[in-house]
Amino acid sequence: MNKTASVVIIGGGISGASIAYNLAKKGVKDIIVVEKKFLTSGSTGRCGAGIRMQWGTEMNCRLSKFSTEFYETANEVLEYEGDIEFKQGGYLIVAATEKEDEQFKKNVALQNSLGIPTVYLTPKEAKKIIPHMDETKIISATFCQKDGHLNPFHTTQAFANAAERLGVKFMKYTEVTGIKVENGKVVGVQTDKGFISTPVVVNAAGGYSKQIGEMAGVDIPVYAERHQILVTEPVNQMQDPMYMGFALNVYIQQTPHGSFIMGRSGENEPRDLRITSSWDFTEKMAKDACTLLPMLKDLRVVRQWAGLYTMSPDRQPIYSKAGNVEGFYMSTGFSGHGFMLGPVTGVVMSEMILGEKPSLPIEKLGLDRFEKGELLFEPSVV
Amino acid sequence: MLEKTGVATEQDLARVTPSKERRAKGPVAVIECFQRIPCNPCQTACKTGAIKEFKDINDTPEIDHDACTGCGLCVSSCPGLSIVVVDETYSEEEALVKIPYEFLPLPEAGSFVTGLDREGKPVCRAKVVKVLNTKSMDRTPVVSLAVPKDMSMTVRFIKLNDYFSDNTIVCRCEELTMGELRELIRKGYNTVDEIKRISRAGMGPCQGRTCRQLIMQEIAAATGTKMADLTVSTYRPPVKPVKLGTIAGGEHGE
Repeated sequence: MNKTASVVIIGGGISGASIAYNLAKKGVKDIIVVEKKFLTSGSTGRCGAGIRMQWGTEMNCRLSKFSTEFYETANEVLEYEGDIEFKQGGYLIVAATEKEDEQFKKNVALQNSLGIPTVYLTPKEAKKIIPHMDETKIISATFCQKDGHLNPFHTTQAFANAAERLGVKFMKYTEVTGIKVENGKVVGVQTDKGFISTPVVVNAAGGYSKQIGEMAGVDIPVYAERHQILVTEPVNQMQDPMYMGFALNVYIQQTPHGSFIMGRSGENEPRDLRITSSWDFTEKMAKDACTLLPMLKDLRVVRQWAGLYTMSPDRQPIYSKAGNVEGFYMSTGFSGHGFMLGPVTGVVMSEMILGEKPSLPIEKLGLDRFEKGELLFEPSVV
Repeated sequence: MLEKTGVATEQDLARVTPSKERRAKGPVAVIECFQRIPCNPCQTACKTGAIKEFKDINDTPEIDHDACTGCGLCVSSCPGLSIVVVDETYSEEEALVKIPYEFLPLPEAGSFVTGLDREGKPVCRAKVVKVLNTKSMDRTPVVSLAVPKDMSMTVRFIKLNDYFSDNTIVCRCEELTMGELRELIRKGYNTVDEIKRISRAGMGPCQGRTCRQLIMQEIAAATGTKMADLTVSTYRPPVKPVKLGTIAGGEHGE
């Protein structure tokens, strides 16, 4: 069955849903979102689903501040019948090395200058916020109450439902097999359910965005790396903020539902799109959790899973059009932070596609920054 | 053995079941009477002569299904409550089964009840389409039930509570009810994985051991798919809940 669309968005995660919603809200008709499986089946549905404004670069601070403020009113703005479960319990980010402590002091100054209410804490002060932590393992901490956590499935569904009401079509279980380019211009997308003629393609395919780029002849310098998470049985609320450390390589949070979700980066995680689980992760994660937050040792792990971080060279997003193919746009390279940036992604990508003035200065996040060597390295990543 | 269990055997049933072709043509009486006793009201009630005259009053009735119009007069006449009328042309998906029902209270037309098989086991939901209770039926009302078509030769009685009701809890860990599950399927979440993500069913301590199968059954029923053709949700480690402390090494050789 062949179709025609004004815009085809590849990827039914938070980015795709948010871009579709924002384009439709601006009056664009005939938008199709193509998703290989179902909404949130990729990285969005596998992520830790935290959102923080505590970053080390001005760019990420501003992007995430925009998104946080959106999420605060998302249930109402998107008229969602469910609940995106946004809990602003804060992020307590701990420093474990002198170098990290130095960086955090700089980060707090930067964040405060941008209106982000982060405070610098001694270990004792940090322990007041998370009483079950072993404060001897840290040198200092920073805390921002406005950071938090959401339900990634409901959040994506909220965007998708709002987009559908505005006429966007979601094609689930439809796989993109090719992108047709003629005379340097996008003319359509080939799927296993037929061809879609379109002048505009948006690559929001997360871990698969490199492959989607290749289909159009666009080289995107990202790679997909496996990251793992585990979740425990739900218990009574005992930890409001996310506990996170970069040198400690860990994040541990309690969801509003009661379960603890925790993750860490592996040293030798595969980069071949694999999303299997490893015992190595389970063991190291359990050891970290029991050392840093000893009370958690009696919590039972019910499940672990893996997802893909789409890593860019400087750990910052790529919001860009392709230099060599007209009509090909991409929103990728989030390096593990695509979910939290979902709201701003939709806004800036829709503005870029419609040729409007960007709400945020995202010109520096273009694909050409890698050729020019103008990287904006983000130091605060787990 | 019917005499011991009161449940007809497959061989018994094979003798009295109208052919598939006949059932596809419209309503027909199914006489599940297997015991020789002196009894013939069904024969005298039959206006079309489909139930043949008895040579011996102790005989079990013989019926010519092709001559039967499925009028249902014999249903309330049978003191043993062993006759039903089955109409497989009722709708695309459903068959109508008319059963004699002598309990009080009578079910209400439009309500959902639990369809039971000959052993009294709940097999499906049944919708009460009509309750007929005229004077000539002599206090043996006939209840018309809409049941899934493949249940026409299985459902023989009902229970008024709704066993497969919307209030039944499907996922015990996350307390998802059948009603909520059905609503999700109606909204288009028609794989276990999607239902799991949006409702948390299967994410609790049991990891879907109880609900996975039930959810698949309901998806299969609602979408007309075979269970074997549905995608199973991913089984994830550690399968059974294990303490973080145990994984980390434990204190006393845990």
